[in-house]
Amino acid sequence: MKIICQIGVIFAVCWAGQIIEALLPFSFPASVISMVLLFVLLATGGLKLDHIREKSDFLLANMSFFFLPAGVSMLNYFDVLKSTWVQLLVICLVTMVLVFAATALSVRFTLYLLERRKRHE
Amino acid sequence: MSELFASPFFGIALSVLCFWAGVRIQKRTGLVACNPLLIGIVLTIAVLLLFRIPYESYNEGGSIISMFLSPATACLAVAIYGKIQILKKNWLPILVGCTVGSFTSILSVWLLCRLFGLDEAMTVSLLPKSVTTPIAISISGPHGGMVPITVVAVLVTGVMGSVLAPLLIKLFRVKDPMTAGLAIGACSHAVGTSKALELGETEGAMSGLAIGICGVVTVVLSLFLL
Repeated sequence: MKIICQIGVIFAVCWAGQIIEALLPFSFPASVISMVLLFVLLATGGLKLDHIREKSDFLLANMSFFFLPAGVSMLNYFDVLKSTWVQLLVICLVTMVLVFAATALSVRFTLYLLERRKRHE
Repeated sequence: MSELFASPFFGIALSVLCFWAGVRIQKRTGLVACNPLLIGIVLTIAVLLLFRIPYESYNEGGSIISMFLSPATACLAVAIYGKIQILKKNWLPILVGCTVGSFTSILSVWLLCRLFGLDEAMTVSLLPKSVTTPIAISISGPHGGMVPITVVAVLVTGVMGSVLAPLLIKLFRVKDPMTAGLAIGACSHAVGTSKALELGETEGAMSGLAIGICGVVTVVLSLFLL
């Protein structure tokens, strides 16, 4: 019964996310709204971690499995991939390195600024 | 016979079997490149093609598995909540890093797609590729992208990131574990996070945090850019 309740809570939050998505004037993914909603509920104490722990551990630990069908539908796109797979790989590699560098450098710069301000005080 | 393959149980059982094989293969070889999901996808496609099973039949079960994506995304909140103390203490560098990272990702993908002359649908499919899959497909789908291409691009990026992470840390001389974790999470999401966890606890926690925050930042940016 415990797990059933946890499934109920999480699915209810997801449904609430879909309702909010339908009400919003701009398009914002329901799953991300649910994520923000769940975070707010946890942070404000409206929901205790114990209410959802096992179910959320299950979902997080097996996250990658849930993408399998989405990846399999790639077989409907073989002709697109055939002509562009080299470009895809290059784009993935180059942008990945750029994002790593940009994030690392900006975090380092922010930390440096914070550190300097602290010393001035 | 063909209607038996259209039972949802077939698609689910096949998916689990292929994923399980992927997990076993990775354990055996110990290679990050042998990502269980990547192997699972390839094996499932191979079975469908080999036995001439229509994709629609497989998807009777496949769509049930896909339904869990949304709750799984929501549960990223639990992962972020678990790190709320680190978040409170370092909110500024974390926010700046994730915003700059997400912006760089979108901009660099867009520029490269233009450079290679890829069409609009392809560009939109690739734009969110540095964030975690459930968020990436919820951006690319509604904006006219091809969801499976997004899934594969996210996955390939993640695998590349986790393989190259130690090299990149050396290359950019990242000494601070928080910086390293954020950078790994921003560029290679959950697949990278598993690597970050191997590097250290702070790296792992930061990488996990970056997944959620980069996801939200990217969604907000895509509202204005797409």
